[in-house]
Amino acid sequence: MHNTLTRAQNVFGYFTSVAFAVAAAIAVSIVLSAQAPTASLELHNVQVVKGRPHYYSTKREEFAHVKFDLDADLSSVFNWNTKQIFVYITASYPSSNPSSIPASESVIWDAIIPASNAPWHQNTYIHPPNANAKPEKKTKKPAKKAETGKRDNQKAYPAGAKPGVIKLEKGMPKYQITDVTGKIAERQNATLTLHWNVQPWVGLLVWDNRRTYGRWQGLKGGDASFDFPSLQGTQVKKEDLKTATGAERNRGSPA
Amino acid sequence: MEALLDQARTIWEGEIDFHGQRLAEYLNYGLLSLFGFIAFLVGFIAQDIYQTLYIGLGGTALTFLIVVPPWPFFNRHPLAWLPPRTGRGTDYGEIVVDGKKVG
Repeated sequence: MHNTLTRAQNVFGYFTSVAFAVAAAIAVSIVLSAQAPTASLELHNVQVVKGRPHYYSTKREEFAHVKFDLDADLSSVFNWNTKQIFVYITASYPSSNPSSIPASESVIWDAIIPASNAPWHQNTYIHPPNANAKPEKKTKKPAKKAETGKRDNQKAYPAGAKPGVIKLEKGMPKYQITDVTGKIAERQNATLTLHWNVQPWVGLLVWDNRRTYGRWQGLKGGDASFDFPSLQGTQVKKEDLKTATGAERNRGSPA
Repeated sequence: MEALLDQARTIWEGEIDFHGQRLAEYLNYGLLSLFGFIAFLVGFIAQDIYQTLYIGLGGTALTFLIVVPPWPFFNRHPLAWLPPRTGRGTDYGEIVVDGKKVG
């Protein structure tokens, strides 16, 4: 500590120790914040049609298009150390030989939901306006607002809502799913399941929990059983097979 | 010129006396620990991690400001050095260490 340079080095060195200790305390402190997520997930409609996995493919595979109704309140999952949560819905179905081959699991929909104090990002999931919201709110187009550059004032949620409250009726999937065998029609005992990852500001990534740990209650609801229907032909309209496109498609394009 | 360079080097090195060094060390550990604790507590109570960040960084900046420059309160106990040697040989006078003559 005898000269300026040594003192600067010592202060900085101890600062790194303190910063690490505070970060560790923050990471651990989240076990004190109570959470009680609830969700209701139901199958709305599922259709299986033939299609090409990509444009130049000569092989046609069966694709399932799963529509769902989701009414979830994950707002209690957000605490002071939550940066964003990644919410996703999987469709899983058992294999032909469940004793030796694990079930298949495919993501049909996902969303990045930032905490209210997280800076705006172009990949932010923008909640579609509520069906029971006032008509004037419906006319507001958040995507257009983003282009005007007033992003700081933009909220990803309808006015008055909290991050983590998701209400999707006849929710469109983001991804149509297929199987490695190319056959997905008429599979039985499939399940839709809601999952999420909590991404903290500092600390560990936390997955969704079905069981209760301390003050963290397990998710209530969030599962739905269904069977894949038989293959449908040209009677399925193309509009019925649309997928929702997330804001992440902006990736790489000019802001 | 020589005197000017000497002065510049003194300012750059910013040396402090032994009591000052102990004080600087106490201040370093004390202030940074205190600010870290306050930062966590305020952020946790307000449930706002930005407050933790800003108090932590602000406290660190303040600690740098207090500890790093050679403030006068670090130099209040200057050491009395022996008189400089002027000729060759042993004209130190008498040097006594622990009651024994060594020079």
